Amino acid sequence: MQEAQPIIEVRDLVKVYGGEARAVDGITFEVAPGELFGFLGPNGAGKTTTIRILATLLRQTDGIARVAGFDVATQPKEVRRRLGLAMQTPALDAFSTGRETLELAGRLHRMPAAEIRRRADELLELMGLSSVAKKLTGQYSGGMKRRLDLASALVHRPQVLILDEPTEGLDPQSRTALWEELERISNAGTTMLLTTHYMEEADRLCTRLAIIDNGKIVVEGQPGDLKRGIGADTVVLQLEATDGDLENQRAEVRRLLEGIVAPDGFADHPTGVSVAVPNASSAIPTLLRRLDDDSVHIAGLQMTQPSLDNVFLKYTGRHIREEAADQPIILGW
Amino acid sequence: MTAIAYETFHLGLRTTRRFIRVPANFISIIFFPLIQLLVFSQLYQDIVQLPGFGGQSSYLAYLAPGQVAFTAFMAVAWSGYGLLVEYRSGYIDKLRASPITHWSILASETVPLFFQAAAMSAIILVVSLLLGATIATGIGGFLLILALAGLFGVAFAGASFIPALLTKSEQATSTFSLLLFPLMFASTAFVPEALMPGWLQVVNDWNPISYLIEAIRSLMVIGYDWGKIGTAILTIGALGVILQAATLWAFHRLAR
Repeated sequence: MQEAQPIIEVRDLVKVYGGEARAVDGITFEVAPGELFGFLGPNGAGKTTTIRILATLLRQTDGIARVAGFDVATQPKEVRRRLGLAMQTPALDAFSTGRETLELAGRLHRMPAAEIRRRADELLELMGLSSVAKKLTGQYSGGMKRRLDLASALVHRPQVLILDEPTEGLDPQSRTALWEELERISNAGTTMLLTTHYMEEADRLCTRLAIIDNGKIVVEGQPGDLKRGIGADTVVLQLEATDGDLENQRAEVRRLLEGIVAPDGFADHPTGVSVAVPNASSAIPTLLRRLDDDSVHIAGLQMTQPSLDNVFLKYTGRHIREEAADQPIILGW
Repeated sequence: MTAIAYETFHLGLRTTRRFIRVPANFISIIFFPLIQLLVFSQLYQDIVQLPGFGGQSSYLAYLAPGQVAFTAFMAVAWSGYGLLVEYRSGYIDKLRASPITHWSILASETVPLFFQAAAMSAIILVVSLLLGATIATGIGGFLLILALAGLFGVAFAGASFIPALLTKSEQATSTFSLLLFPLMFASTAFVPEALMPGWLQVVNDWNPISYLIEAIRSLMVIGYDWGKIGTAILTIGALGVILQAATLWAFHRLAR
């Protein structure tokens, strides 16, 4: 069977600002129809720049980007017809009501008036905004603004939805609610590309993701595969031992577990030994059976599975910084 | 072309709502012209006895055209500010990412200014009439005055759009608007050119607002002086072409 045409296709994309830093430095990726593709990376990694190029808001320095089969540089209008966009901060007219906001979006996409009304009703209902449809958006809460912004990007039923940091600045409750919303939109068949610097968000939402750092994609894949790719689960065996005895007990553990844990899978832990195993939950019974010996005294067990943070750490050598996006301070003038 | 008209209409309704739904807009535009009209017409009522006024009997009648023009000036002097706020909030980007002609974004900011400037000027004109000023040309002149005020508003708005788009700074933009104020005082709004010192006469000759004021004054005091009306239209047209062309250029720079 022939593979479906990718809905987003990016080849060797480069963006250089003012002849200096390479904000995007040769990015290549594809998003297939129906996917929920995530860009995970710290602030300043080049996520927003890539998104702005895909949304026809910024011209790339080099490379090719196609959305729904159209080149963003040469056929921007065709791209815009098929694109829904919600940027990092909701871009709403504070002096329009929620309904007016959606109706204007429909107008700009040349939808017939009757359909605009139907669609606005539907989206207001879906986003839980019916009761505030006649209020000015300037009076909305942060979560309501997000939902309306998202709704206005959906009015024309776009083939592709591009979201830049969709839950940035939301409280945990609103964030979870928005995640559910995004999952529903995705399940309904809309292809989505989103950026985030929240591990949890990428882990929960994305069917596939790319980790981006310093303008480059360092690794790409399904969240589960990426986590499995960095190897193994870790089991920490906490040992009951006096100071001098700890080293002996560690040696004893290594001896007893020889054969079921690879030689390089052992590591010292302040309270005992940590061992790397392919799957912690199935390995633990075996480990305990082998360790059922008078020479070692197990005080406790701790198992950890790799997180996307471990993945990020492995490929970039750093932890992702979970902080709000820095706004540049405008000096002078 | 029809696409631009359609988009400008619907986007223009939005910018008009944005104007109407903030009552402070009305007050900030009307307050100064109104105060000057009420206070100066009393304070300087005897000034008309100076020879330069050419035997006019009421300073209110002399003052009113200038304040009508000043209102049109006030209605648009900060227009770049609103555009800048929406640029910074990302709203302009959102419009740019929708399948519309980008010029309609700018047109929807500019075209409604015709109606805003005309409507605000109408308030001051009506107040002037209530205070005792008259319009020699009647209802036709009344409408022509408002049309001239509206056209001036559209043309002059570029003077605020340009610094907004070039500096992308709210402070710079609103400061620049303040710097435009002397244009009002270096005009024939308060005294005839004959009473100005030489250097001010030179400034006045190059001041587009004076041509608007003189056209309004002729419509209110004398009659249809097509020479003055024609000069005003040409001046406003030239001003509009220069400022709006520069605005288009500055707006285009944003897309890079």
